Amino acid sequence: MRFLRFLARELLLRGVVFTVAGTAILACLYLASIGALAESWAGTGRSFLLLISGSRDFSIEHPGFNAGQIIASGAAVTFPLAMASLILLTLAALFSSTRATVARYRSSRHGQLYAEGVRNASQLASSVLAAVPLFVGFWVLATGFGSRATFPLIAVATVVLGGLSWDATRFLASDMLRNVESTHATVFSTLGRPLGRVFPLPGTFCGYLFSSSLPRFIPYLAGKVPAIIGAVTIAEIVFSFPGLGSTLLEALLATDTDLLVASVFILLIVNAIVAFLVKTILFLIYPRWYEKAL
Amino acid sequence: MRKLSSILKAVCVLALASPLALAWAPPSWLPGVLAPSFEAALQASFRQLSVTLAATLAVTTLLTVALGYLSVLSMRFGRTGASILNSVESVPSILVALFCYAPVSGYLARHASGASQTVSLAVFILAAALTALPEAVRSVAIPLGDLYHRKYSLSFRSYGFTKRRILAVLMGSRGMRNTLKRVAAAVVLKTLVLDCSFGFIIQLGFGSYGTPAHASPGALIAAHRDALFDGGTPILFWLPSLLLVLISLSFLLTLGDRKEVAA
Repeated sequence: MRFLRFLARELLLRGVVFTVAGTAILACLYLASIGALAESWAGTGRSFLLLISGSRDFSIEHPGFNAGQIIASGAAVTFPLAMASLILLTLAALFSSTRATVARYRSSRHGQLYAEGVRNASQLASSVLAAVPLFVGFWVLATGFGSRATFPLIAVATVVLGGLSWDATRFLASDMLRNVESTHATVFSTLGRPLGRVFPLPGTFCGYLFSSSLPRFIPYLAGKVPAIIGAVTIAEIVFSFPGLGSTLLEALLATDTDLLVASVFILLIVNAIVAFLVKTILFLIYPRWYEKAL
Repeated sequence: MRKLSSILKAVCVLALASPLALAWAPPSWLPGVLAPSFEAALQASFRQLSVTLAATLAVTTLLTVALGYLSVLSMRFGRTGASILNSVESVPSILVALFCYAPVSGYLARHASGASQTVSLAVFILAAALTALPEAVRSVAIPLGDLYHRKYSLSFRSYGFTKRRILAVLMGSRGMRNTLKRVAAAVVLKTLVLDCSFGFIIQLGFGSYGTPAHASPGALIAAHRDALFDGGTPILFWLPSLLLVLISLSFLLTLGDRKEVAA
């Protein structure tokens, strides 16, 4: 019953209804602000219905322009790039937070102050990287690699530059560090388990601290999905990948309302799918935390 | 010792953010090493950026304080507002900016006057406020709600203070003032990122017709992106980029420092 409620809420309400309603609202705002005529409203509405129904000729004005092509561009470029960035973001946050926790533990329990020094230096380095505008990093990569830049490389730039990993590390590290000095963590540390120096693996001290931070970290990640999609959109435009970002810009350039609405719709679908996957993980691991988050 | 390091950090942050202030210096103060047209464009873009940041900060902070206060004052308003803001937050900010800009692009291209600049600024403020508000309101409403349910707030109630008055008192507390400072830093950083990314994309897509009324450093970088290729002058690309890095770093240091304190 709880799972059905989760599906109804996340898949139907936040997934399907939000995507359709969001696109419809954005399209209406756009048409209203450009002062579109009644025929344009009707034409855009008809095209949107054809797109949702999966019709081959979804555009009235541009027959033959296949909706499948836009969906394919989203599936082939935007979705994998977003997923790769999300996975990398998670790994970067886990690694950096573990290092921060180990440094704090060593300095407080063993007086090894150099560990905190190293941590502060790496923190400053990550702040400098986070301050580099994403588009500057993308353009430097594009100058060096052109459209041959691989997805993992772009995903690394998406995560490291522009502040995504900086923010995620801050969030997770401050949550884990808050518990380093707590009584239950001190008791756990007396069991003689390893520290877990690289990743917070189960059974290690860092793993123990991470297990209490995880229910807060997963919703945080879900909230970062739109930022990742936005960054991926910029990457697609800079690298001229045939993804949704490029399609969106083309639609804006040509003031093609049908194409604009279609690309926004698919972009919101990709956004909803990635967010749904993250929330499913939260629900499967911590169903009570999911309910509490509501 | 602690105080000295705080003062040094504050000086460092101010020095890093100084390009925003230097943009308002008279042109004769500039070193004049680069082409005068580029120096003028550089100064104009950072001047525009400082105006955008200040205006967005003022509008968003006002809205944040009002919405945060009302969210705690009225449970129903808070829930409805949170649902709406969550929906807005689910849309990528660059998409919000593109959608805000698209309807007025024709107007901006046709008018290069003061009216066009005002409209352009208003559009950016709207887009930036829309994207920054959800997190900002949450950051104010949650600690304010926590403060309201603490023991001393209960004693306020026992003296017959109304909820409205207690919340007004709590909004002026040191904890809430610190929260508002963090929120302000986050809003400014988000606006900076959005403004420059948007300027870059629009310049890339539309060229010089993109944002004639909005001289963003991002657009300036995009306009000189070919400087990285053979035969170009890389400093035209790197100088505005470096200045942006310095400004962003100052906000990140402010935000990071305060988060550490909060933790």
